[in-house]
Order: sequence, then C-alpha cells, then structure tokens
Amino acid sequence: MSWSAPRLALLMQSLVAKELKIRYKRSVLGFAWFLLKPVFSMIVFSVVFTRILRFGGSIEHYALFLLCGLLPWNFFSASLSASTGSLLDNQKIIRSIYFPRLALPIASVLANAVHLVLALVVLGVALAAFGHVPGPSMLALPLVLVLFVAMTCGLSLLICVGNVLYRDVAQVVEVLLLAWFYASPIIYPLSGEIPISPRVLSALRFNPVAGAMEIFHSLFHSGSWPASWCWVSLSCWAFGLLLVGVLVFRKAEPSVVKEL
Amino acid sequence: MAGGRGEIGFEGVSLDYTVYHDRTLTLYETVINLFNRRTRRESFRALDDVSFHLSPGESVAMIGANGAGKSTTLKLLAGIYEPTRGRVSVGGRVASLLDLGVGFHPELTGAENVYLNGALLGIGRSGMRELLPRIVEFAGLERFLDTPVKYYSAGMFMRLGFSLATAVEPDVLLIDEVLAVGDAAFQRKCYDRIYGYKGGGRTILFVSHDLEAVARLCDRAIWLDAGRIRMDGRTHDVLAAYSEAPSLVATATAVTPREWGSREVWMDSVSLGRDAEGPPCRSFRPGEKIVVRMDVRSSLPGEVADVVAGFSIHRPDGSLVIGVNNMELDQPLLRLTGRAGLVLEIDLEVMEPGNYVMGLALTDPGKRMDYHWRDFFYPFTLEGERKEPPMKLRSATWKW
Repeated sequence: MSWSAPRLALLMQSLVAKELKIRYKRSVLGFAWFLLKPVFSMIVFSVVFTRILRFGGSIEHYALFLLCGLLPWNFFSASLSASTGSLLDNQKIIRSIYFPRLALPIASVLANAVHLVLALVVLGVALAAFGHVPGPSMLALPLVLVLFVAMTCGLSLLICVGNVLYRDVAQVVEVLLLAWFYASPIIYPLSGEIPISPRVLSALRFNPVAGAMEIFHSLFHSGSWPASWCWVSLSCWAFGLLLVGVLVFRKAEPSVVKEL
Repeated sequence: MAGGRGEIGFEGVSLDYTVYHDRTLTLYETVINLFNRRTRRESFRALDDVSFHLSPGESVAMIGANGAGKSTTLKLLAGIYEPTRGRVSVGGRVASLLDLGVGFHPELTGAENVYLNGALLGIGRSGMRELLPRIVEFAGLERFLDTPVKYYSAGMFMRLGFSLATAVEPDVLLIDEVLAVGDAAFQRKCYDRIYGYKGGGRTILFVSHDLEAVARLCDRAIWLDAGRIRMDGRTHDVLAAYSEAPSLVATATAVTPREWGSREVWMDSVSLGRDAEGPPCRSFRPGEKIVVRMDVRSSLPGEVADVVAGFSIHRPDGSLVIGVNNMELDQPLLRLTGRAGLVLEIDLEVMEPGNYVMGLALTDPGKRMDYHWRDFFYPFTLEGERKEPPMKLRSATWKW
C-alpha cells in the first residue's frame, strides 16, 4: 500500500481536525484559552516590567509588544510539549495499523498552528484599534508562518523520537523551554530601545527562534520591514531542523515502533 | 511490491527485538547498573529465517505457542514492523484485524471515528460516506452513531471495529485472535463475513488458538515454533502433529526472571545455541547439546580467581530439575583478568520434553560472595518424544 500525496493530505487533515475537536470538548471557554493564556502572561509581564522593573516603559504599547511575541512563543512551546507524547499516546494505533507515523507529530503542530493563525487575527484587530495599522510588510506574514511552523515540525519530530527512546526528554524539554523563553526576544526587543552588549547580542541571534520573534514584532508592532539577518537565520534554522528532523525520524522509525 | 493481488511472500525473514531487563530492585543496584548498562540489554530473535508463500485465494492458519512469532508475522505483513533481514511482500489492499477499535477516540462520536479511521486506512470522506450505512448496519449501531464512543459497551466498541475493518473489500485479510467479539449472534455474523471473503477468493491469514475454527476456515496451516517454521502443510496433518507435540502443554512460565548480585564480576552478552559459533536458538532436539556462550567481565583490580559458575534448569512452574556448578563437578574454577569468554556445554538425556527455563550464576562461596545471579532468565524448549511408558510399577500390594 503506497501513500500518495492526496491520501497523506486527507490523513493530515483528519488528524488535525481530531486534535482540534477533542481539545475543547467539555470546555466552556474552548478556543478562547489559546488567547487567554498569552493574554494572562502579558498582564503579568507588563505589570512586572513597567510597574516594578520599569524597563518596558520605553517601548510604545509594551503590553501589545508582549502579545506579538507571546502568541508565537505559546504556539512553539505548546507544540514541543505536545510532541513528547505524540507517539507514546498513539502507541496502540501505531502497533495495529500501518500509516506514515510522521503524520502524528506534524498533525499536532499543525493543530497548534491553526490556533496561532486565529490568535494573530485577533491580535491584528487589537493592534489596529490602538493605532498600529498593519503596513505592507504584513504581506510577509504567510512566509514567516510557514518557516516558523516548519522549524517547529522539525524539532517536534526530533523530540517525539527521543522521548520514546529516553523518557527523560520530556523533562528536559520542559526545563529547556523555560530558559529558552528568556533567551529569546519575546519580552524584550533585540534592536533599539533596550541596550544589549554586542557579544550577548550576537549570541542571542544564534537562537533559532530569535529571527522569528523579531519578525513578528516588526510586522505587528512597529509595522517596519524586518532586518535581513532575521530572515537568513529563520530560513536556515527552518530548513536545517526540518531536514534533520525528517531524516532522524525516518531512520529511527522501525526501531521506535518496536520499542513502543 | 512483488507479486500480484492477494499474494503474500516471506523470504528468509528474521526479526530481532531488543529486550531490556530493567528490574532494578535497590538503590545500590540502580547505582551499579548506571555503569553496567550493557548487561541490561539483550537481543531476542522473534523470527528466524522464515520463508513461505501464499497464493491468491488461499486461507492459511498460523498456529503455535505464545511467543512463537505469529503476531510478529502478521505485523510484518501489515507493514507495522520492518524485517531485520529478508523480504516481505504483500499484493493489493490489506485489511488487518490485529486489534479492534484501537484508532477510536473516546470523545468522538461513532460516525466521527469512522471517518477518522477511514483516513488512516486511506479512504476519503466521500468514500466513507458510501460505506457508512453498511458499517453501521452490520454493527447494529444505527441509533448510537452520534454518541461518543466512550459511552459504548465493550461489545459495541468491538462490533464497530470489526465492521469498519472489514467494510473495505480487501485482497488480503489478516486476522489475529480477535473473533471472540461480542455475543454469539455477532460472532456468527463475523464468521459469515470471513467465510464470505474466503468464498470470494480473498487471501486470508488466520492466527488462532481455537483449533476448531482453524480446521473449519483453513485448508493449510503453518506451525511456528520459537520463531521458525516447524511444519507447513494441510491443516489436518499439521493440527495432528501440533496436538501431539509436548511443547504445547506448557505455554507461559509461572515464574518471573530475577537478577541480583554485587556485579563486581558479571555476565554479559549471554546467548544459548547449538554450538559455540552458530546462531542463537532456544529450541533443542534430542541429542543436541545446549551451548551457553557469555562474556564474563570483572571490574575488580587484578586477577579474580576461584569464581564458581553454576546453572539451573527449572520447569515453567518454578520447580527445580537440575542445579549444579563447576565446583560440585570437580572442574577448574574460573579465573580472569578484566574479561573472558566462557562457554558452557550442557549435554542432557531428556525424558520429559517441554518448556524449561535456565538460570545462571557466578559466585565465590569461599568469600560468601554472590557476584551475579540470573534466575529463571532463559526460557528454552526441549523437543522430542515422550519416553513411554511414562511410569513403571515397582510393586503393588493389597492388604485387608
């Protein structure tokens, strides 16, 4: 039995639909949670950094600036956390029907991506209401979304395979995400208002999500065209991680299935 | 894929699993194990050079004890596992009844689950919409289509699973012991549908312990034993030989493997075989020696002397048959520095063929030291005829 492209597309679509359907069964607020969580962190951070530490004050509409980074980050961290279980939770299906197992982690990333897109629409409206009307640079949004989602898929593939072989991976991811959050330009910008020493700056630029976060900030918050290093960094990481993820997954698949 | 529709081919197929023995009992053992990782891993050959061929339209049964490799064979055919060596080919669409209803999500309704499973089987929404009435009618679940399946009874769940898996006209049908589904009336319907496929010229591979069902459905049977084909022929002949075989009597062992010791000296890469070089095996014919190969390793400085090596053979219920070591048999005690290869040859006169389980030990009784014990660790089978008569009368007396 071969898996043609339309057949695979059907499978992906069904798995994504399933994830979306079951996530909010028996939940009163439903999809709103994907917005509420970043909004809540936004409130916490903006109180901390404008009232207590007073460094966010120099950024215009700091609360909205925070949301521009928190929404994509929330997508990223939710996808990686979900991928630790995407093979383990489906082990019964994997052990009784053949289908491309790659579809499982990717479907859970795509389900989160659907949430991200909807949340960004809401964000766009909120920004427009505060006078940040989207400029022509917004046309680059689909591109950054595709690259960012591709990078997340690559990492998810690595994590879900790793977690089958060593259950420690789930714990490591959890800890790492916390550090990663502060090492990424989400609650602060890399350019402009906040002074960062050049050495730290160049180190932070190696961060795979730094490019994406800077792009989201400039598209939504400042309305300017993102710096070119952001595009180079994001594209390299996206292609690199997706390629490595798919290759590793393919290579490990037969032994992972036996290991489950 | 080679072969026409409904054709199945297995050419020299082997499949190895890695088995982990991670029953760590104490903190001390856990710490020791940190450094002795390798001793906890073993390779286990579930299928060993198996070849057979099914022509389109054949119904073939696969029989054998638990762990003989039947389910592994089906999983290879379903594409779930890839063979370690050899080639597996299947022609046409495969329907596998390995486990019913596994793709069902409890929160989704019956209909939603049917569509989702359709996608896993590669059938689109429109294709599924046409099949849905048939599936639901066969399962007798018309009224519960919009109910989340978590409210289904076990029987309803299985009925929907069976109905769904067989709704798509397959060229090859793989069945693994799943026909104990629902009530008697539904079982009847299941068998009718399977007989219908048989009549329709589909290829069927049927794994079951229900020998009566096997005899009714299949013309040919393959008997797997410890990962190898022991017999392949007409169902009648194979079943006759199978029911006479001694290894049928004992299936699973009642004892669980145990492992302990200081592990300053330990056994590594243990394997059972027929000779010192050949492939590992777990089944021995009369007259064949059991050859246990292992690496003995030591983490102690300098030479370790006076190591006593022993083995034990237990019945599956745990009762001891033989337990002996090199000291009791007046053989030289082991001495090694760092590591040494050790070969233990066991020559048995077998009165009672069947399944047994072997234990191995390295100790130093002089120092009251248990280096490494593995009890009930290596199951194996002794083939052969039972010696007749099973008992002899010494005497009988009648008193009154």
